[in-house]
Amino acid sequence: MTDATTTLEQDDARAQPSVKAADIAANPPQRALRLHRELDEVWSDLPGWRGFFTSVNHGTIGLRFMATAFVFFAIGGVLAMLIRAQLATRNGVFLDNDLYSQIFTMHGSIMMFLFAIPLLEGLALWLLPKILGARDMAFPRLSALGYFCYLFGGTVIVLSLLFGAAPDGGWFMYVPLTDKTYSPGVNADVWLLGVTFVEISAMAAAVEITVTILRCRAANMPLTRMPLMGWYLLGTSVMMLVGFPPLILGSILLEVQRAFDWPFFDVGRGGSPMLWQHLFWLFGHPEVYIIFLPAAGALSTIIPVLSRTKILGYGALVAAVIGLVFLSFGLWVHHMFTVGIPHMALAFFSAASALVAVPTAVQIFAWIGTMWEGRVQFRLPMLYIMGFFATFVMGGLTGVMLAMVPFNWQAHDTHFVVAHLHYVLIGGFVFPMLAAVAYWMPLICGRWRVRGLGEAAFWLIFIGFHGTFFIMHLTGLVGMPRRVGVYPDNPEWEWLNLISSIFGMIQSAGFALFAFDVIMQWMFGRRSWRNPWQAPTLEWAMPLPAPSYNFASLPGPRQPDAGSILPLARGEGLLPGAPRGWRETVVVEPGTGRPQHVAVLASNTALPVATSAAIGSFFAMMLAGFYWVAPLGILATLIVAWKWGAIMGTDRDHPPADVAPGIRLPLHWQVRNTLAYTGAVALLVADATLFASLLFGVGFLAVVAPNWPAPESGIATWPMLAVSLGALAAMALGTVASRLAEQRRADPSLRVWTRLGLISTGAGLVLLGVIGVWLDDPTRHARDALRGATLGFAVVHGVIALMLALRADLDARTGRISAERRGAVPVWQLFQLFWLGTSAVSLALILVQEVL
Amino acid sequence: MVWLLRALAGPVLWAALFSLVYALHGTGCGLGWTDRPVLFTDLHHIAMWVAWLAGLALHVVLVLTMPVGSGRARTVTAAGAWIGLVASVFTLFPVVVTSTCF
Amino acid sequence: MLAVPLLTACNGPLSTLNPSGPVALEIARLWWAMLIGAGLITAMVMVMLILAIRRGPMLTEGNTSERRWIYGWGLGFSLSVLTVLLAFALWVGERMLARDDGAVTVQAQASQWTWRFVQPGPGGQPVMTEGVLYVPAGQPFDVAITSTDVIHSFWVPQLGGKMDAIPGHPNLHRLMADEPGVYEGQCAEFCGRGHPFMRFEVVAYDPAGPLPDFASITGPMVEPAFPEDVSGFEGTGQTEIPAQESSE
Ligand code: HEM
Ligand SMILES: [Cu+2]
Ligand SMILES: [Cu+2]
Repeated sequence: MTDATTTLEQDDARAQPSVKAADIAANPPQRALRLHRELDEVWSDLPGWRGFFTSVNHGTIGLRFMATAFVFFAIGGVLAMLIRAQLATRNGVFLDNDLYSQIFTMHGSIMMFLFAIPLLEGLALWLLPKILGARDMAFPRLSALGYFCYLFGGTVIVLSLLFGAAPDGGWFMYVPLTDKTYSPGVNADVWLLGVTFVEISAMAAAVEITVTILRCRAANMPLTRMPLMGWYLLGTSVMMLVGFPPLILGSILLEVQRAFDWPFFDVGRGGSPMLWQHLFWLFGHPEVYIIFLPAAGALSTIIPVLSRTKILGYGALVAAVIGLVFLSFGLWVHHMFTVGIPHMALAFFSAASALVAVPTAVQIFAWIGTMWEGRVQFRLPMLYIMGFFATFVMGGLTGVMLAMVPFNWQAHDTHFVVAHLHYVLIGGFVFPMLAAVAYWMPLICGRWRVRGLGEAAFWLIFIGFHGTFFIMHLTGLVGMPRRVGVYPDNPEWEWLNLISSIFGMIQSAGFALFAFDVIMQWMFGRRSWRNPWQAPTLEWAMPLPAPSYNFASLPGPRQPDAGSILPLARGEGLLPGAPRGWRETVVVEPGTGRPQHVAVLASNTALPVATSAAIGSFFAMMLAGFYWVAPLGILATLIVAWKWGAIMGTDRDHPPADVAPGIRLPLHWQVRNTLAYTGAVALLVADATLFASLLFGVGFLAVVAPNWPAPESGIATWPMLAVSLGALAAMALGTVASRLAEQRRADPSLRVWTRLGLISTGAGLVLLGVIGVWLDDPTRHARDALRGATLGFAVVHGVIALMLALRADLDARTGRISAERRGAVPVWQLFQLFWLGTSAVSLALILVQEVL
Repeated sequence: MVWLLRALAGPVLWAALFSLVYALHGTGCGLGWTDRPVLFTDLHHIAMWVAWLAGLALHVVLVLTMPVGSGRARTVTAAGAWIGLVASVFTLFPVVVTSTCF
Repeated sequence: MLAVPLLTACNGPLSTLNPSGPVALEIARLWWAMLIGAGLITAMVMVMLILAIRRGPMLTEGNTSERRWIYGWGLGFSLSVLTVLLAFALWVGERMLARDDGAVTVQAQASQWTWRFVQPGPGGQPVMTEGVLYVPAGQPFDVAITSTDVIHSFWVPQLGGKMDAIPGHPNLHRLMADEPGVYEGQCAEFCGRGHPFMRFEVVAYDPAGPLPDFASITGPMVEPAFPEDVSGFEGTGQTEIPAQESSE
């Protein structure tokens, strides 16, 4: 065991005298090679191109995410070079204004949505099971589904450039510029549909990361002893669950406005462009922290290892993460300081923006303190970490400046902001990620790097970066706005831009060299030792490169860290091998980490790629403007989703699995609180945020938008009320039936309840349809459009509930539900309840609107 | 897990209070509450002050009651309660210093 | 060698570092103060970092080091700096708001990709112009900003910060020019193809002297952003508009 490991141990023993991790006896040792063969057979991908379409293994998918993200980074980087080439002189002629708009919009959108977010998702997918001591993520098929949505969506977005149809409204797509009147082409649709399609992968990753961290940790690893990376990614994923829905809602509303003329953002008919800005930045600011947190997690992991000590202030860092997660949702208006909001409201957000610097400062000083306590080893990742400090501190400080309202009024929308955002994004995300790549490369490819190249790449990037962006602060202060491709009347800006452009090329050369270095390491590096950094965390408790199954036996209290590599390989940990020929991992209680059951995970399947193709067909038809055939895409999606459900259950009881001496745990089919259940709860958290954003829209437009009150509603009040209450009653009946179905699951009456649930859910949907027919024309006024949207929300959830009811009914009939097995019924209950709850709130809201 | 929820109580209260005061501010400016004198000031100020002070009082209660456990769990629960309190003081103190609807 | 281009850039017609009115001046001061502070903090953190790397390992007793780094620097230092800065910035901001104090109101209406203005002309009568806004120097004026199509932003860096022109949401923006002169302005919010060219000028004239020639245009009058503010043109309070001299 390394010295770092021991100090970590001691520290925690000191920190937690009362909580004694319960011991779990070791399994008898076996031959490591035999275990390896047995597991690899079960866990490895199919060979060749079939592997590409069918792999669901987190190692494969995570790496693929990261590799794809770096490809998009290269594309975004090429666009950046085009921008810099254009701006190098004041009359740059080689991009016209239309093309320039496309290029900067695509640069920003690619960097944010196709590079930064997917890269962190990939890192999380690849790293989490390894560092937490599990064999895979909680939902392997979901990882693959996310990947293909990302790949297909990203490809379409990038290809649009070749057809001159790329988005051109800036990466925040402000309406009215992006509505049909001012952007009649397909450009804006590419952004709205493409990004939403890609965001499916973000939502999938968010659900998955949350569940994995809470429930797929090493046995008896309490949250308080989880590696800090776990806390950081937990913060990230919760932020994604709550942060992305406003954007998704906004994109849907704007696309509906563009396609069907529903006036959510049209001032003439009671909408407001400000609603878009609020929804966008409600997502957009947390987004920055979503990007920063995983990078900070990597820093908190790497810095203590390369300082040969333990991290300073574990508890304080966890608190800082909590602080960041919350505070970052209270800052969004700082992107809107110039839209005419009164000073007091600006002051709230200015103060919150200043305050968010405090948890950031806590982290910075904790890292410096860690290095102060330890003995810093100047190896390549450390170099990038120095790059991080030198860059991010300045970016943070300019961020605080921009949070000061009066200064923001001058600097907003100038190149000062462009400089600031690159200082935080490249300083706070790219440098730490490059450090992370350098640090984890040996685990990825089992090889050690080629000497010298990495350092050269670092210096090129570092010098190039500061040369490009430092002076750009001044470019902004002397008046150059962002998003202009020519500035014929301002020769005084020219030399500033020329310097930025020259250094920009140096920086790109650095990134190219970095990529070259990684490829060289992959192909020609010498074989690496085990645990080359002598790190304590569990991802190093495995041979290099990491095997497909991660751990031959899963770590428990007797195999707490990287020092346990041999006992784990010999099967002394939990659940050794793959005795049943399935992919299995241990699921724990979220807080204490007590093992609860064994989850049987999915193995190679083409279902995810088929599903994303089905979803993609819907988006493609919307993009092509074939609105009336687009429902076919939804139908296709439902069909694949049905298949998905069909393979999830089992029609017989399985004996419990031997996990460790004296510990036998049930398989997941025979427990209620499965990973899927936790996942459904996480998904509903996101769903509830989407609904809350919609309610925010209703309230916001009613109070702020001009041209209210809306015209007299043509709805016949009493019949409408009767039908609405009837729909609610049907939903309530379905909810009750789903509960009874679970309670009576061992009983023949089970089938009555599932059938009743199915019928009442169907009836609820039909009544919603009646309401839809009676609603006022949604193109008339934003109020009517919002009512249409609310109804649409209810219908979508009705369809989901109906699918689940159908599943439960069929399961009941085919014997997949029994005293021991509950099938999809618990999840069906959740969705029924959610459908009922949100619909009741919507109805109450509409009643209030009518009465007032 | 319960200790984690306790750690989140303070920040959640901040989020609720922040949204409430922001909403009161917007509604007040929209409905002209600044023109309705109450005591030595106007309805708009009074509404926001009452909400703010009540929230701060709740925060103090959380700071006193939320920390539990020992070791790291205690650090985090205590820190959570304090984060909430400091955030509510710091981000909402403009209700007593800046002008309302300009 | 760099000094000359640096000075020309800083004194350029669109530079925020070349303030010509109280609002811009206050903001420029805030900027210089923040720059000094940020420079010092950056230097301090870098020194700490270098020291942390240079010195050998010497484990301090666990709690003291945590107290020093987390509570001392992380919380104490950052919170106090931020509190002072925030208070200062709010105080600066508070004094540059447009209030109901009878300042001259002019209208600015943005459209893809021109600016139309309405300002008090000869005899206090509203005059409509395109691309040039005429205001009296030495006294505050409010710009009532609207848009007829997409979002734009009204920005005259030498006079003060920017304010967006948003359809359906008129905004009021307070500015002032200390001296008579011509100040350049531009649209700061991306508004489509013509965005780089959406420039305008603000001509500040001496209110005591003769009125300048208003390069007026005809056409449908710009709608007043705040109908009740039209009275501003009657010259309430200090806005005494001298009768036009025949300027030949
Ligand atoms: C390779 C180095 C990079 C260079 C030289 C560069 C250059 C630029 C420039 C000059 C602009 C301003 C365009 C304009 O306003 O006209 C810009 C905008 C932007 N960049 Fe970068 N960039 C680089 C890397 C990145 C990275 C790594 C990210 C994010 C992770 C990023 C995110 C953005 C965003 C979000 C915008 C705003 C786009 C918009 O205004 O819609 N950039 N970049
Ligand atoms: Cu932000
Ligand atoms: Cu513009």
